[in-house]
Parts: sequence; structure tokens; C-alpha cells
Amino acid sequence: MNDLDFALIGHQDSWTAIADVLAVLRGPARTPLPDDEIKDIFPWIPPRALCCVDVNSIAGTRASGVYIDSFIPPDRLEAACVRENLARVRGAAANAIQARAKIVSLGGFSSILIEGDFDQLPATQDTVFTTGNTLTVAYIVQGIKKMCALDGRNIRNSTLLIVGATGDVGSGCARCLAPLVRRVLLCARNVERLRRLAAEFQAEGVQVEVATDPQRFSTEADVVICAASLPSPALLLGRIAPGAIVCDAGYPKNLSPTAEMPDARVFFGGLGQITGGLRFAPDFRGILNRHPFPDVVHGCLLEGVALALEGRFEPFSKGRGAITPERVAEMETIAARHGIYLAPLYNADGSMEGGAQ
Amino acid sequence: MERVVCLDRSPAECTSVSPTASIWQDVLAHAITGELLAAMNYASLSEICDDPAEIADALEHAQNERGHAAAFAAEGRKIGVEVANNVEAKHWKRLRSSFLRCIEERDFVGCLIIQEIMLESFALASYSRVGRVGPDTLGQTFARIAAEEEEHIGHAVAILRTERARDAQRFDEKLYRLHLDVMSTLAQMLAKDCRDGHCEVCHSSCVKPALFEVSLSAAQLRGASLQQYLKTLDMLGIPGQVTLAWVTQLPV
Repeated sequence: MNDLDFALIGHQDSWTAIADVLAVLRGPARTPLPDDEIKDIFPWIPPRALCCVDVNSIAGTRASGVYIDSFIPPDRLEAACVRENLARVRGAAANAIQARAKIVSLGGFSSILIEGDFDQLPATQDTVFTTGNTLTVAYIVQGIKKMCALDGRNIRNSTLLIVGATGDVGSGCARCLAPLVRRVLLCARNVERLRRLAAEFQAEGVQVEVATDPQRFSTEADVVICAASLPSPALLLGRIAPGAIVCDAGYPKNLSPTAEMPDARVFFGGLGQITGGLRFAPDFRGILNRHPFPDVVHGCLLEGVALALEGRFEPFSKGRGAITPERVAEMETIAARHGIYLAPLYNADGSMEGGAQ
Repeated sequence: MERVVCLDRSPAECTSVSPTASIWQDVLAHAITGELLAAMNYASLSEICDDPAEIADALEHAQNERGHAAAFAAEGRKIGVEVANNVEAKHWKRLRSSFLRCIEERDFVGCLIIQEIMLESFALASYSRVGRVGPDTLGQTFARIAAEEEEHIGHAVAILRTERARDAQRFDEKLYRLHLDVMSTLAQMLAKDCRDGHCEVCHSSCVKPALFEVSLSAAQLRGASLQQYLKTLDMLGIPGQVTLAWVTQLPV
């Protein structure tokens, strides 16, 4: 195989998505696999490439890569399966190295699993890994600003709640938005990390409070970022303030505006759109990227694509807590240079912008 | 049915028979049948080898597989059951026919692909799972034989990788042709339940629904077998996206 510019490591977020992937692999002449067979067979599939991916830049360059699925079953994302899932991510990374990818983006759960320790990945000289979290943060922050603008709100009067605030994405969002809002509420499970992050903002004069229970703050915030998938969204955000803007930045995205927060303005954050051209072979368009708009991809994966188009094969996002507003601005600029921008905003009910789908 | 091993004592002579003995009886029957088929395949393979060392190697393999069959039969005796075998059972017969077609064509590489990549992957994965849950020496025997089968695969992979390096496209086309033939049969054997009638190996009704009683399941054995097959194909250097499509296209 020739050297690849990039590899994208991901996993499917639902059994429906998995069924669609397998249907493409089986081809139109064969009947789709029954759901019970899919659930029996899928967990046994070792990590491997699903398709080739070609991306064109509006600047005229082109990058060729591969999408590698770690085949983490969507119902085995919980803490009890961390070891098994880490082994899958390592297997997927080994695939990327074997394919001689120059840069690898770690999508979804993959980056969460190893954002704190790249040493868990197989050793390699020629392949670099990025969690992709910087571009994810960029698109979450852009999305918040855009939603405020769409609603005619002044973000400077807002109280911002970040759930999952001490993670790489949560803390990056906090650093970008804290200087822009009136008050910051940070929520996470680890009290010590919360205190350290809060101290960072207090030193800069930001009004900040911390809690381990998001319900403590939920009625006070009018802008909420859920930087981690919530196991029980209804429990955690059931008391959200009417009209609050809520960014579902987790993976899988599981905040439903109608079920849990009837009065909230929920949107799916962290997504970007490729405008120069995106091709899959075999054609997994709309299956690997299941969004109501074309060529929309998660920011974490797009970071590797943008860096490949730029010819910057470096671990841009590495470790936890290193994402700064300056790094976010740099990554936004790189992506935009190649025609990769914030995706149109939408949620489970459809577009938030009233545009064509 | 052909009996592979003469029993030196009847089940009645055993002091006690476990409630799960009849399940192990069928598990062992499938294993013995597979080993006997492998012994027959290697014996046939020796007939198309030109190199005396290859002939000796194939005959040694055949002897080893007969030894495995005998070891499984001995495990049956230990738990007080008579273990039958049937290499003429419909699925096994089809697998043998596929192998014999390669023999007729004097296709040494095709023979290795069928026996070492397809059938041994199935055996290795199944034996490993049984080895983890089988009682006492029965489990140990399955685990030991699984380790030996793994060595066989490693040896064959080295030969086949060299062969593939000569002409990857031709090799992959041959492999795919054999996959459609042999793996379709194996997929039917591995289906969660035998929808197309009795397998002709189980001593009464199909053992699959009862496997949960010994901490196994047909779905688990199928999953592990397909996983091992994919991993073995990976070792040959065939692109993962290609082999995944092959496997997902198998009948269920």
C-alpha cells in the first residue's frame, strides 16, 4: 500500500449505523443481516479499515486517507469495558501504522480513552497521532457564538455551565469562553481537577464556581456545554433554565430537545463541514457521517484531515488540558484555509438554521 | 457412522455421568470429526507433494490430527460417553469435496488455504473457547490442541505469505474463490441454529441450544471463529477492508 496522508479512527454510535455499514459491505444483492445477528457478530470484528477517504482542499491540495473502525459496540462504552475498548483502539492504531498513515486522528471514544497518555498507543516513528480535540473545541465555541447570534443574545451577559469541564474538550471550551461570559460554572466528577481549573480562571478575574452535580447549576445557566456523553441526560439536565442554549458535544450525541429539555435550544456541537470535496470508496457517504447536511464530519477527525492538507504531520492535540485559545485559533485558521468550516447547526429534530438539508 | 476409537469400557462402567456429559459428547463428536477430516486431508495432500520432505511433513500432520482425534475420544471415555464421528455428515462431506477438488488440480496452495487458513482458524477459535470452560482434563486437552493448531497456522501463513508475494492478485482471487466455497459451508455449520436440518454429527437433537449449559454458545463460537479467520487473513497481508466485506457477505 502507498503511504497515506491520514487515517481516521472511529466507531459507530448506534446499532442503526452499524446495520447500515454492514448493509453496504454485503452489497445490494444480499438481504440485510437481521438485528440479532448483527449484535452477535459485530463485537467479534477486529479493528480494520472500512474505506478509503479522499479530501480536496479549496486551496487546491488533496489528501488521501483511510477510515479505520475500532468496532467498539455502542452498548459497551461504559467504564467496565475500558480495557477491552482500549485494546480495540490500540488495534485500530496498529492498522493505521501498518497502512503507513502520516497522521492519525482519534475520533469519538478513541480520544477519550487515550487523551491522557499517548504511550498507550503502539510505538512508531513515522505515524503521529492527534486527538483532534482542538478543532472539536473550535467548532463547539463557534457553535455557541453562532447560536447566541441566531437568538439575538449577548454572550457577555451569559452564565456558562460546562459539564465534563476538566476533560480536554471541556477545559479547552472553558478557556476559550470564560473571558467572553459573565459567569462560569464548572462541573465534573474530579473535585481536585475542578479546583485547579477554577483557580486558573480566578487568577484571571473570572467569576467561577464548581460542583460535581450538574443539577446544582442547571437552573442558573443559560448556555450549557455537555462535553461528555451523559448517561442519564434527563436526570442531569431535567431542570435546565427555559430557553437555555445547550451544546451536545459528546459522542454519541444523546440530548434530545423534545424529551429532556422541551424549552432548551439544543444543538449538536463540534462538527465541521468540508467544502472542497469528500469521497469515500466504497461509498459510505451519509452512513459514516450521518448528518442532515453533506460532508459534515466530527471536528476531532477533521483535525487530522486539515493537518494533512496543510502538510503538517504533527501531534497537534496531545494530552489533557493543553488546549488554549491561541491553539484553537491556529487550528481554525488551518482548517479554514482548506475550506473546512463550522457545520450548519442542527439537532435530533433537524436544522437549527432553517436552511436546506 | 465411523467409529474412530474403540471404547475399552462402556458408559455404564463409569461411576457417574455428569448432567452435561451429553453436551460434551456432541462437542467432542464435532471435534473428532474435524480432526479426522484434517487427517484425511493431509494424507491426500501427501499424494500431490513432490518433495520428500513435504510428503513427510504432510504425513506427520495427518498423524498428529489422528492423535488429536484419539485424545478427544479419550476425554469422552473419561466422562463416560461414547463419542461418535461422521466425516460423511453433510457439511463435513462438502468441506472434504472442496479439498479434494484442489487435490485433483494438484493445487498445493489451495489445499493449504482450505485446511490451514479456513478449517484450522475455525478449530483454533472453537477449541480455545471450549478450553476455557471445559471440565478438568477435557478443557486442558482442547486448550493444548488449540495451541498446536495455532502452530500449524503460523507455519502455513509463512508459506502462503511467500506465495502471495509472488502474485498478490492471483493469490487473492484464488483465496476469494475458495472462501465462497468453503467458508459458506462453514458459515452454515456455525449458524446459531441448524435451520437446514440435522447436522448428522450430534447424537440426537442439535446441541447448539444446550451449549449455554456449559458456558458456551453457538453465537460465541461463530464470532470467535470469524474473528480468528479475519486475523489469519490479516497475517497473510490481505487488506482488512476486503476481508471484512468477504465475511459480512457470508450466509447467516
